Amino acid sequence: MVDRPGPSDAPRPALRLKSQKFREARQGDWRALSGQLDKAERRGLGSFSVDELLNLPVLYRSTMSSLSMAQSISLDRNMITYLQALCVRAYVYIYGPQTRLKDVLSGFFIHAWPNAVRKLAREMLLTFLILIVGGVAGWLLCAFDSNWYNVLLPSDQAQGRDLGASVESLRKSMGGAEDHALSPFAVFLMTHNVRVAIMTFAMGAIFGLPTFAITLYTGITAGAMIWLFASKGLGYEFVAWLTIHGTTEFFALIIAAACGFHIARRLMFPGDATRRTALAEAGLLSGTAMIGVAIMLTVAGCLEGIGRQTITDSLWRILIGLVMLTIWSCYFLGVGRKTPADAFTGRSPATGEGG
Amino acid sequence: MARAAKAAKAAPKRDLVANASYGETGRTTSDILTPEGVVLPFINATFGERVGALLIDMLIIVFVPIIVFIVWIALPIHVDFDKTHKALSSFVQILLLFFMFFIRSGYFIFFEMGPKAATPGKRFMKLRVISHDGGRLTPAAIFTRNALREVELYLPVTLIGVFLAGEKSGSAALAALWALALLLLPLFNKQHARLGDFLAGTRVVHMPKAALSYDLADLDGDRGLGISFTTEQLAYGEMELSVLEQVLRERKPAVMKAVADKIKTRIGWVEPQNPEDVPNDENFLRAYYGALRAHLESRMLLGRRRKDKHDGAV
Repeated sequence: MVDRPGPSDAPRPALRLKSQKFREARQGDWRALSGQLDKAERRGLGSFSVDELLNLPVLYRSTMSSLSMAQSISLDRNMITYLQALCVRAYVYIYGPQTRLKDVLSGFFIHAWPNAVRKLAREMLLTFLILIVGGVAGWLLCAFDSNWYNVLLPSDQAQGRDLGASVESLRKSMGGAEDHALSPFAVFLMTHNVRVAIMTFAMGAIFGLPTFAITLYTGITAGAMIWLFASKGLGYEFVAWLTIHGTTEFFALIIAAACGFHIARRLMFPGDATRRTALAEAGLLSGTAMIGVAIMLTVAGCLEGIGRQTITDSLWRILIGLVMLTIWSCYFLGVGRKTPADAFTGRSPATGEGG
Repeated sequence: MARAAKAAKAAPKRDLVANASYGETGRTTSDILTPEGVVLPFINATFGERVGALLIDMLIIVFVPIIVFIVWIALPIHVDFDKTHKALSSFVQILLLFFMFFIRSGYFIFFEMGPKAATPGKRFMKLRVISHDGGRLTPAAIFTRNALREVELYLPVTLIGVFLAGEKSGSAALAALWALALLLLPLFNKQHARLGDFLAGTRVVHMPKAALSYDLADLDGDRGLGISFTTEQLAYGEMELSVLEQVLRERKPAVMKAVADKIKTRIGWVEPQNPEDVPNDENFLRAYYGALRAHLESRMLLGRRRKDKHDGAV
């Protein structure tokens, strides 16, 4: 309780609440922090002098302690609201992603990506098996009754590679140098593939069923097409044509589908963790792998756009495809095993799960 | 990270003013414990705000390509690329393809990876994305939460569209129902998180811009006016104090009069006999605010708090 005015006329010190004195002593810091945050958001930390830079965490901590104190001594709602908003803003900025681009990139390429792919090994094996089963099924169906080909690949999807196509037109569809090197068509295919990969991954959230269907269908169409070309005596050329970018592209699609299966698995069987944490873990892991998938599909697009148009020799095509496969395998199996902690997820990397 | 919302939830007693998150009643918060040990309340974005932000973003996504197309048509340099410059033509086509790809798949990811972690629509609605445990917002999380838009937004909208367009079979109805459930998932949890948020471990929060106003308590001025209250007359709690503060900051005469009358009746206020000493409503309320705050704050220092007028006196 504050003293109410008494009878004496003697001059008294100004009446002040503790919370008011507190505010007067500290509000300079708050306004300074607010100004610095405005500046940082507008022009970035690069515009800060060394002194300002060193002062920023000091201001942040003093404001945080102000909030903590204000909540226990003051009932000025405007001040507390202001401090809360200011602290939230400062917190998000101070603890936000401040890593340099170089560190983000090296963190991603040297541990996060290969580690994420290694953790998906089981799901990748499953996807691979589905693809193989699909491919064999596609081949066998068409070999059994060639009408299946039209069912599996309606003529609008087959792009001229239908049953009636002549050997010559099929050979032509495998491309030569007549197109411009980096043709827009290759870019179209690449963006399309990235979208399909994202779709395959995201559909995993529906208990993995659409992911399974998409993967199986991809395998079936590939099998059916190989059968078509093989039946016209172009099997070797077609496989070569497919291999140059296909090893990268199929690898990427396998990882994407594996990501989908992974989130489906963690959604249905979270294990020891709560479903919420299991989902968050799975999302982080598969998100990392999916960024990698986008990169792989870009590489595949370049191989498709440049390599396939300029390199027409089948042996070279197969060779390049195999080299790419080896590079990817070595990268995923070998890189980033020895890092102490994963900068992306804050957990230690997987051990011995690769393969 | 060990600091988590859990720690804050486990704490049984929380600061009362902090509970009325930013004074915006009816809004829930996600509390995050900072490394300094301070509990920060982040206001959860409401479903309406999220839909609003999404609509703005969708408008941008739809209209920007149209505007680009119109500008392209309106441009005076109209060379027939296909015949004259084959390389240039394919280059322009590639640029266009990349642009369309960016607009469709990269828009959200690009903006949310920026320093403000928000798309233009979210910025307009004063929203941003944070990591649910208060940790760093990683690129992987942003990728995941936006990749899931395919199943949460584009697919359901397509399915519902197919259903409404006349495909009334049982499976179409089932698919549409499921799609609707996925679309409305944010309505069914406290933080209004969608599936992508759960998978990426992110939340969308509202970041209001608060200004530091003047301090309403002016004990010296009140002393000059000669208004004083007994402890029995200060019969309100912290909740009423914050409402009174709001009334005094808004300064609407009708409201102030109603509130002053109500308080005077409750505390049995006797107006001074000299008509010149009768304070006007605002002065009375300010004096009462100052006295009540001084009273409550002095008790607060001793750890005794009064939530509202129904609470026992301190």
